[in-house]
Amino acid sequence: MVTAVKPRADAKRAPKALGSAIGWYMVLGIASIITVFPFFWLVTTALKGPGDAVFSLPPQWLPNEPTLNNFARVWQQIAVWRFFLNSLFVALCTVVLNITVSALAAYPLAKMHFPGRELIFYSLLATLIVPLELTYVPGYILAVQVFRYDDTLWSLIFPNVFSAFNIFLLRQAYQAVPNDLIDAARIDGAGELRIWAQIVVPTVRPSLVTAAVFTAVTSWNALLWPSLMLRTREIYTLPVGLNTLRGMFSADFRLIAAGTIIAIIPILIAFVFAQRYFVSGLSGAVKG
Amino acid sequence: MNARIRSRLTPYLFLAPALIFMSVFTLYPLLAVGYYSFTEYDILRPPAPVGLANYQRLLNDGVFWLSLRNSFVYLIVTPVIIALAIGLAIALNRTLPGISVFRALYYIPVITGSVAIGIAWQFLFNGSGGPINGLLLWLGVIDKPIVFLTEPSYILPIAMLMTIWMGVGYYMVVFLAALQNIPEDLYDAARIDGCNHWQKHWHVSIPGIRPAIVFVAVISSLSALKVFDEIYVLTNATGGVLNSGSTMVFYLWKQAFRLQNVGYASAIAMVLLVITLSFSILNVRLLERRED
Repeated sequence: MVTAVKPRADAKRAPKALGSAIGWYMVLGIASIITVFPFFWLVTTALKGPGDAVFSLPPQWLPNEPTLNNFARVWQQIAVWRFFLNSLFVALCTVVLNITVSALAAYPLAKMHFPGRELIFYSLLATLIVPLELTYVPGYILAVQVFRYDDTLWSLIFPNVFSAFNIFLLRQAYQAVPNDLIDAARIDGAGELRIWAQIVVPTVRPSLVTAAVFTAVTSWNALLWPSLMLRTREIYTLPVGLNTLRGMFSADFRLIAAGTIIAIIPILIAFVFAQRYFVSGLSGAVKG
Repeated sequence: MNARIRSRLTPYLFLAPALIFMSVFTLYPLLAVGYYSFTEYDILRPPAPVGLANYQRLLNDGVFWLSLRNSFVYLIVTPVIIALAIGLAIALNRTLPGISVFRALYYIPVITGSVAIGIAWQFLFNGSGGPINGLLLWLGVIDKPIVFLTEPSYILPIAMLMTIWMGVGYYMVVFLAALQNIPEDLYDAARIDGCNHWQKHWHVSIPGIRPAIVFVAVISSLSALKVFDEIYVLTNATGGVLNSGSTMVFYLWKQAFRLQNVGYASAIAMVLLVITLSFSILNVRLLERRED
């Protein structure tokens, strides 16, 4: 758009542009080092053999006798893959239930008129400002005394099915769906559920992805509530499992580092393959 | 007739699942926590009403005031994270080869999770020879290693650094999206008016992304007030020596789930509610002023 306007000025700026590119690369490079360094330190610690010092002054940057033994030992002693499957199960169930419930609730709020609509709308809005942390105390008592689902994975799923945030996000997306489209379907005799499933939901796919990614990452990284609910090691999620792994291997930091890397790898792989959805999903949720 | 009733019911049927889950997992807890805050309750025996005793106890509880203070000190994270995220977004908002790799890289801490990052940070800040101590010794800033994580005055700043490090990539994406919406001619106009590189960003970029700044300020300050994970992970669930790293949510957790003082913890939760509510109102005011 702009480049075609002033070719002469651009030509004059060329050496300066090269200089500024180098400057920007330096800024980006320093930020990259700060970003990568903690991960680098985990990796180098995990690769250290028994003869290498984990902590020393000056620090030992690279292992003298690199080994993969630490990974093998963690893998044998702790079923990290099981934590991974538990986390995956919880995240998938939470996403499916949450998105279904939110997508249903958003439809009448966007496209129907009915008594009590305002009241429901503002009640939902009000729940946005209730800190989640406040619900943990009564939620715990409900889980232990009423539902008796503490120490099961369901206790991590059901409290996260309702999200006013996702309802508003989807309501906003629905509002862009033309009313003519919906009315035409109604005249053809389609039921509301069918209109919802076949016309409304398919047109807001990007917003569904946004809501799903945000919900999944939140579920995947949750620590406080899962560590209150889960006692049996077989059903630990990754964050809870990783937290106990620290205690188990406190005698050997190399094993803690190896376990941490094993736990990070799945989400990193998911990120590499679905980077676009992660970035647009999480930041889209902020804007919504 | 039957069909008419059904069509009248339709909107409520669509809303029903959400309203049921909302009532059970948000509204009921809100009411219950309010009630518990006026009782003495240890989960095993039923709650016993004690009037305002829990709130009176709060007034004289030094650890509560320390936690409150720490939560407010934690708000320093917000301006720092905004400045860094904007700087990074400006650096990334250009076409250079490989720029998308950097963008992806900065995002990794956002998705890694607080436990893994907390473990890495315990390594970095280790008192008997972590790399941070190594670096500071090498630079000559200190002459003997600092035991960072058991030093009461260091635990909060280190947790805040962790929050910043984890969050910058997230807010950077928000600012990047906002920057990309600023029309290019505004920059040209600024250049014609004789603005240099830095003035250009100060006069065009920053005003252009002001809505995003307000939004990020609100989001990040609310989460700073409610910080828990960083403290829990870095202090191994102790809250630090002499509760030096305790925050509101951490103290709430400790009272409720470590000490079984559910009534007292509920009073802390009510204070948290009032504070976050005030912040939200403040936020609405700010947003309204923006739209004028």
